[in-house]
Amino acid sequence: MPVDKKRITGPEVTQSPLYFLEDSSGISQLVNKDGTRKDGRGENDIRPIFMKAGVVSQAQGSAYIEIANTKVICAVYGPRQVLRREDFSMTGILKCEFKFATFSCPFRRKFQPDVEEKEFALIIEQALSPAVCLHKFPKSQVDINIRVLENDGSALAASIICSSVALTDAAVEMYDIVTACTLRITPEHMLMDPSYTEETNSINCESNGVVTMGFLPSINQTSSLLQRGHLSCDKVLKALQICTEGCQRIYPLIHECIRRSVKSKYRPAEQDKEKSEEDQNPSKG
Amino acid sequence: MASTQLSDGEKTFIIHGVLDNLRNDGRTCENYRQIEVECGVVSNTSGSSRLRLSNTEVLVGIKAEMGQPKPQSPKTGFLEFFVDFSANASPEFEGRGGNDLSEDMSTRFAEVFQTNNILDFESLCIIPGQCCWVLYIDIVLLECGGNLLDAMSLAVKAALANTRIPKVTVLRDSEGGEDIEVSDDPDGYHTLEISKVPLFVTLSKIGQKHVVDATLEEEACCSASLVVSVNSSGDFTGMVKKGSSSLSNDSIHDMLVTAKKVGIQLHKGLDTLLSEVGQSTAGRGFLVG
Repeated sequence: MPVDKKRITGPEVTQSPLYFLEDSSGISQLVNKDGTRKDGRGENDIRPIFMKAGVVSQAQGSAYIEIANTKVICAVYGPRQVLRREDFSMTGILKCEFKFATFSCPFRRKFQPDVEEKEFALIIEQALSPAVCLHKFPKSQVDINIRVLENDGSALAASIICSSVALTDAAVEMYDIVTACTLRITPEHMLMDPSYTEETNSINCESNGVVTMGFLPSINQTSSLLQRGHLSCDKVLKALQICTEGCQRIYPLIHECIRRSVKSKYRPAEQDKEKSEEDQNPSKG
Repeated sequence: MASTQLSDGEKTFIIHGVLDNLRNDGRTCENYRQIEVECGVVSNTSGSSRLRLSNTEVLVGIKAEMGQPKPQSPKTGFLEFFVDFSANASPEFEGRGGNDLSEDMSTRFAEVFQTNNILDFESLCIIPGQCCWVLYIDIVLLECGGNLLDAMSLAVKAALANTRIPKVTVLRDSEGGEDIEVSDDPDGYHTLEISKVPLFVTLSKIGQKHVVDATLEEEACCSASLVVSVNSSGDFTGMVKKGSSSLSNDSIHDMLVTAKKVGIQLHKGLDTLLSEVGQSTAGRGFLVG
């Protein structure tokens, strides 16, 4: 892999001090004895979500989402003419670029997109394409740029939600909004909307895993599915059910966010009144 | 993906056939095509296999080399996957044509082989923190006839069964320096325990039903598929949805149940074949479903 000499001025190989922590790979308990999680939530609780549409003025549509410490920003450009002749198609195409900011995770990311980022980009593309009326803009593409500013778990789910809000903000015609939910499965528990430690801790051990699901709530269809780790068939089926339910709980929050942004766009007089209202949408646990 | 041009009429024919549980080549929805495996085909590798799934052909070569362990796991060796789409298989793969697909597939493999009980990664460690075995698993696609991932995973498992890793001894001198000595005895090798290595099962949704082991023509009729990696006890070690359309939860449920059933059969077929073949190199075949 050629190195970008212009931007990377550090030494070629460095290691994070986190690797040298005592017992950093040890299996620790994710759930306290009284059934609550390390951050005080119950198994089925989603962290508070904040969403805002229209945060980048140059873009056709954009959105910002915070799920506790996970922060994602997304901008949508297009529809515009396809750039490469090979991409010509009589239905529109979605082009997604997904990137973790280099400082967003505990371990530093590289500037060049790594395999995980490329995979996530593909998953987000496939999660959104069933929801978009692609036949409405033939021979053109919509560019979706997603940047994770801080990763505290469930980054993929947050990105899917954020990009679907941004698409709506760009007034791209859609059949439905895509919601997403992540579930961490341990031998005893199913933890909804995991934090970074919950998502990564002892994930490679037997009977542990993470399921991320993208869901179209009003037509009841699953548009994306990713499972990692080692799980039995029954556990996965159970997890899908819980994920669906989680997605349905996030749906009204997205609705509210879009309603608010449309209102402020077309009736600016009411904007001041809106502003005095509480912005935060704490999810009901 | 090497795609075939199909007319609407041909697509309808395939979809209706699948609905009646009878496919163009006479199979039912849960049958695989004839699988042929040959082990130890390339002499310069530590382990290799050639697999033919009707008209999909895959060659896998594994090379064991010594390298530095990753900082996050100093006491284990690791695997590196590379999928090479040869332009022999389809002119589309010429030059950089197959790059995206190849990257996508090697990521799938790497992700699934991350779970630490799949191989005994600790046996691949030579000196903790300094030296370990790195297995380069290179997959070459020779002919493209649909269902590539399943064929590749079968070939990878066969090649891992065939892999011989030389025995090494670590010599320590009086000043605390370490030296590695590789055994020159032809029988001085150890083999890998492969009973937990998973196989991919790709389920393609065609019309109202789903099929396993889709041919190129069937892949052209399919807009959504699930790639599930199943181990020999029927547990899932990874799953991803592919394709541009969505699936209902009921059909995902049915697909996963099929994946479990077919995956166990596939493991059984390959395991009996591998135990018969042992370390010999003669080609053998088996049928699933």
